[in-house]
Amino acid sequence: MDRRATFWFIYLPPLLWLSLFFVLPVLLMAAFSFRPDMRGDLLKLWVPTLAQYASVAETGSYWRLLGISALTALGIGISAVVLAYPLAYFLALRAGRRAGLYLVLLLIPFWTSYLMRVMAWKILLGTEGVLNSFLIYLGIIQEPLTALLYNRTAVILTLIYVWVPFAALPILAALQRVDTSLFEAAADLGARPLRQFTRITLPLSLPGVFAAFFMVFIPTIGEYVTPLLVGGSRGFLYGNIIQDFFTKAANWPLGSALSMIMLLATMVLVVLATRLVDWRQLFE
Amino acid sequence: MKPKQSMLFMTQGFMLAFALVLSACGAAAPATEVPPAEQTGSLTVLDWAGYDAEDFWVDFKNTYPKVTVNFEIGASDADIYAKMKAGDQADVFHPYTGWLQFYVDEGLVEEIDTSKLSNWDKVPDNFKKIGQINGKQYFVPWDWGFTSILYRTDKIPDGVDSWAALMDPKYAGHISMWDDGPGAVTVSAYIHGYDETKITSEQLDAIKAEWIAQKDLNLFYWSGEPELQDGFRSGDVWAAYAWQGSYATLLGEGVPVAYANPKEGRNSWVGVYGIRKGTKNMALALKFLDQKLGAATGNNVVNLFYYGHTNQDVMSGITDATLKQAFSIDDPDILNKTNFTPNLTAEQRDAWTAMWAEVKAAP
Repeated sequence: MDRRATFWFIYLPPLLWLSLFFVLPVLLMAAFSFRPDMRGDLLKLWVPTLAQYASVAETGSYWRLLGISALTALGIGISAVVLAYPLAYFLALRAGRRAGLYLVLLLIPFWTSYLMRVMAWKILLGTEGVLNSFLIYLGIIQEPLTALLYNRTAVILTLIYVWVPFAALPILAALQRVDTSLFEAAADLGARPLRQFTRITLPLSLPGVFAAFFMVFIPTIGEYVTPLLVGGSRGFLYGNIIQDFFTKAANWPLGSALSMIMLLATMVLVVLATRLVDWRQLFE
Repeated sequence: MKPKQSMLFMTQGFMLAFALVLSACGAAAPATEVPPAEQTGSLTVLDWAGYDAEDFWVDFKNTYPKVTVNFEIGASDADIYAKMKAGDQADVFHPYTGWLQFYVDEGLVEEIDTSKLSNWDKVPDNFKKIGQINGKQYFVPWDWGFTSILYRTDKIPDGVDSWAALMDPKYAGHISMWDDGPGAVTVSAYIHGYDETKITSEQLDAIKAEWIAQKDLNLFYWSGEPELQDGFRSGDVWAAYAWQGSYATLLGEGVPVAYANPKEGRNSWVGVYGIRKGTKNMALALKFLDQKLGAATGNNVVNLFYYGHTNQDVMSGITDATLKQAFSIDDPDILNKTNFTPNLTAEQRDAWTAMWAEVKAAP
């Protein structure tokens, strides 16, 4: 096979797959966001209108919620990375021969379904849950705390828990690439452990750290399942509103407009972040 | 089968008798009709999770054992409507009151020839009317139930006598509302005496403000009944917007709950089956709907899901005390104290669901 044939042989299947099941649906959604409403044949051409965007624009609570969701995702992303870093560090540089075993242990939660793990948090935080029962047993509280579940804090706690093992993986990959002879060289030149970490380990692992952050941040902005389960009346995120317009309102045009706005907002945030951080410098 | 021809060649007595039996069978059914037990084919039904269980179409299964029934699952009325609108090829689908008008307006549903339904005369007229749009029978009513306020009698010993209980600060943090815009509009309309079919935009603004204020009292909005029932069992939820299936379930488990008879009246909903416009399976679809009205199927709806069935023989045959209480069968006046969910227009649907999204998005 010549090079061109090899290229198409390798890239055609994913290209087709992504075009059919990702690019096409996104384009369709973009088109739907310019539809006036759901009336009439869905596949017949319609006169494009900005009505959906206008209605979103004049609804302050949607924008507010988008802002809150982005901030929540930022907080969750940073927390997950901060908590995952020591895990990855230990696995890459301290666990030695047992690293494989520890990695398996880290990934064990993924053997159960995502929903199961979120439901487990309901059992932990509920009024008759593990935490409340324990505190009452110790005599620290008399009445169960009701503020643990059904609010945004519960959503944030649950999501951080869910993401930490995920976030550890790209950091681990970055740390494993660090040449350990650099540490010896640094030690020879008199660098203490803290200085070794800030001058060698951390800078070299930064690409993994950023990858981990975006891996958490981007899906969290659109997250809707966790708020539904543990968020109560005040824990909703922007993704819940989008989901509602698709599944509870049969209003795809408005749901599509809200989705496009989120897509654009996320892209802008990611581009801004990559501008702030010079990626080429990180990889050199 | 050609019995006359075969008779010519039959001399022995038992053979003759056999042929006579065969010809008798042939005479009983119209010449083109295959006997039910021999009928083949397949039918696709778009239904709610749970109703795909064989218990809920057992009469059809027993009468037409060789017909394959495939199920597609819809998560909500909006989901089922959106699927049908997007060209879903299901022959039969299962929407609920409030969501019927659009199917007719958008040309998604066939008119029902009720003369083909042998069980049709077992359905009371007030239910038949629910399935009529623009004076034509487009839907076969099938399951029904009440909506009211379900409450814990140990936490609210004085009882609940109004829909306003869902907004009562006394129960702050222990109320659960259904996650549904039109449902919220209904509750507010009952409390304030609005005409549910003619909600003005000022009234809708007031309703939005009312439910945003209610968020401080509301623990969570429930989507599925198990979630709500868990809240009642654990004692977190004291009062909730609920269907009587949850009432019967919790009562049966010994949870101290009661189902209010609010002074504004209970709400009642009816589930109906429609046949997709343009289906090539019309005859089979009608048979399916006819058997859906059968007694064994109806009894399963009542006994397994605690919902009502539109076959009145099924309802009058209920003897279980918990069920009788759940349906208020011994209260002869209960149906007069009930408000049936009116059908939404497309504008109302969009405005009311958007109102609810704003309630949920509000800080």
